[in-house]
Amino acid sequence: MREITYTEAAREALAEQMAIDPSIFVVGEGIGERGGNFNTTLGLYEKYGPMRLRDTPIVERGFVGMCAGAAMTGTRPVVDFMIVDFILDSMGELFNQISKVQYMSSGRIKMPLVLRGCFGIGGAAATHHSGSYYPLFVHIPGFRVALPSTPYDAKGLLKTALTGDDPVLFLEHKLLLNKRGPVPEEDYSVPFGQAAIARAGSDATVVAFAVMAPKVLNVCEALAQDGLDIELIDPRTVAPLDMDTILESVHKTGRLLIVDETFGPCGIGAEISAQVMENGFDDLDAPIARLNGLHTPTPYSPTLENAVIPSQAAIAEAIRDLVAE
Amino acid sequence: MAIEIFMPKLGWTMEEGVLDEWIKQDGDEVRAGDVIFVVESDKALQEIEAFDSGILRILPDAPPVGSTVEIGRLLAYLVQPGEAPPFEREAADEAPASAASSWTSERPAPEAQAARAIERRQPRNGGPAASPRAKRIAAELNIDWTILTGSGSGGRIIERDVRAAAAMASAGSDRDLSISPVARRVALDAGLDLDELAERFAGVRVTRADVEKFAREREAASDDKRTVMTGVRRVTRDRMVESARTAAPVTLTSEVDVTELVQMRRKLKADGADMVPTYTDLQVTIVARALREHPPLNASIDGNEVILRGAINIAVAVDTERGLFAPVIFNADTLSLLELTKASAELVALARQGKLKPEQLQDATFTVSNLGMYDIDAFTPIISLPQAAVLGIGRIVPRPVVIDVEAERTAIRHMTTLSLTFDHRLADGAPAARFLQRIKQYVETPYLWLVN
Repeated sequence: MREITYTEAAREALAEQMAIDPSIFVVGEGIGERGGNFNTTLGLYEKYGPMRLRDTPIVERGFVGMCAGAAMTGTRPVVDFMIVDFILDSMGELFNQISKVQYMSSGRIKMPLVLRGCFGIGGAAATHHSGSYYPLFVHIPGFRVALPSTPYDAKGLLKTALTGDDPVLFLEHKLLLNKRGPVPEEDYSVPFGQAAIARAGSDATVVAFAVMAPKVLNVCEALAQDGLDIELIDPRTVAPLDMDTILESVHKTGRLLIVDETFGPCGIGAEISAQVMENGFDDLDAPIARLNGLHTPTPYSPTLENAVIPSQAAIAEAIRDLVAE
Repeated sequence: MAIEIFMPKLGWTMEEGVLDEWIKQDGDEVRAGDVIFVVESDKALQEIEAFDSGILRILPDAPPVGSTVEIGRLLAYLVQPGEAPPFEREAADEAPASAASSWTSERPAPEAQAARAIERRQPRNGGPAASPRAKRIAAELNIDWTILTGSGSGGRIIERDVRAAAAMASAGSDRDLSISPVARRVALDAGLDLDELAERFAGVRVTRADVEKFAREREAASDDKRTVMTGVRRVTRDRMVESARTAAPVTLTSEVDVTELVQMRRKLKADGADMVPTYTDLQVTIVARALREHPPLNASIDGNEVILRGAINIAVAVDTERGLFAPVIFNADTLSLLELTKASAELVALARQGKLKPEQLQDATFTVSNLGMYDIDAFTPIISLPQAAVLGIGRIVPRPVVIDVEAERTAIRHMTTLSLTFDHRLADGAPAARFLQRIKQYVETPYLWLVN
């Protein structure tokens, strides 16, 4: 199968859907003629012009609110935040309007809005460009949140996002953008709420998201040489969250570690822990463990930046500790 | 300061007790000396008194009434009015503290990235911890996890410990069980115990037909009733097994003419005595005096040493609704027959009411067991360690006995059989026989001991 990059895969999904669905248009800073800071729309401006690839001034609340209105009228706006930290400037529109419109209208008004952008720590981007805010969106009813970790999932999940009726946060980790992976040429999509078992194993279950999934997979392969057989689950979407697959895996292994680059408190790991405790308590052979990035603003210095995210060594140690519990 | 209330250790060998009843309830005011709760241990009910005063606060996760609790387990607190017990303070005070300390960037090193910055708490009860999974699988495999040794962190019992125990149990049965694969599958599907199959079909290869037959038998016998052993039963079980495993018991029997004792009781009754000694009382009195003359039968073993016990404390086996009890008559050799009769009557009554105190069940140096009322002639009682011997008393039967061979004369005499089981590790056959012979003399000629 051909191998393309994560960004190319997502762009292919967008291009294919724009060709099929004329109601899709993209809004953001530098996504027009420039093709997007991260090449998310490269080559599309030439094809679809300024009406469907609309550059904006730096005013997130304004263009997010405008896109919400556009979505309510039956179009499919895609807001490209470039760096998703700036979504925070549009929180009022997001939490108070976009997430609630379908509920407030008894479902008569749809909100097919895709909010995409790069997130996460990497490349000395400093604290204003390193955020991962997805736990906030999982907490609020009404959003879908996708965290693809492979080019295949990037394309498949964006396809699903561009064909649904709900507001979707589509988050691309900045360290994954240039990663290559197999992507079939034929049309496909990846449904929301269906975790991928990235590696089957029997000694312990590790759940990892986004950039942590391939990182943990490397660690698992290394640990396999020491005889540790670890199952790795990549939920792919955290809203909805595929708890069935996680619970089934814990039923098999009895041990669970959740690896998430972002902060621990009130995070996805806490949520998964609680649900496993509620629904899989009798399957647990050891306390559930979490490994998160440090609870601190992200430092600019590359040395310090490296120190705040879970390293391969820390992941390996956490897995060994879990198996030794 | 909250005062901790534990399951107390009420006897030297006590390891656990049954929490029988809370006399005071959560929130009750308690004064020093008040009875807080009742514990059943070593076959007796013991009322536990408060040493201090305060408000009783029972732990929310305290073991339920009726459950067996290891000694030292925390059950409750005594707090002062207005004071919160520690289990409520933990929730209220420590939450903000941990929020402040555990998630800030004050962590010592990046290596400490794991979310677990707080030291993990030890389980409250201090007993062995088992993972929920281990408990579930233990229940599925019918394994008692409480007796396992954990291989997890901090000794936690985890799945592999339970599976290993189950494998060991089934390996043990498989050694004795020859079974066809089909029959094994049918047996497992029917939920049959392979151990039982092995027992039922020892020495033959079990076929499917055998299994089906066995299943039908089991169904027919389904009015079996299974109950959990009471504390008394378990203590008895453990002591009997220990005795059977360690002692070297030999039983001597001797037919004894008890006509004199029968007469004595008859005449005392006719005289209108307030308290007439029972046969057991008479035997205990006699045994106590005979023991004074035969110290090796009033002894115990401690490693390579023999302890000749200074006091003669005789336990009397009493059958009650709650099980077998053996309350102790202390210094029996120094008591008059009347004193001993009174002491014995009191102990029997307490035993029947389940009100014996632990100290009334300890430190016996010899045991007397009477099964005469059940028409038993002779038996082989088990020695209650660390005692050296036990005397079993059979029934009294009138029988024609040769009393003068020369004159070819017989008479009807009241006869009984005494069974002396002694620990051959401590005493040899001849000294034990002489001891039994001395008892026989005392029974047949009571005035021998009336004077001393």
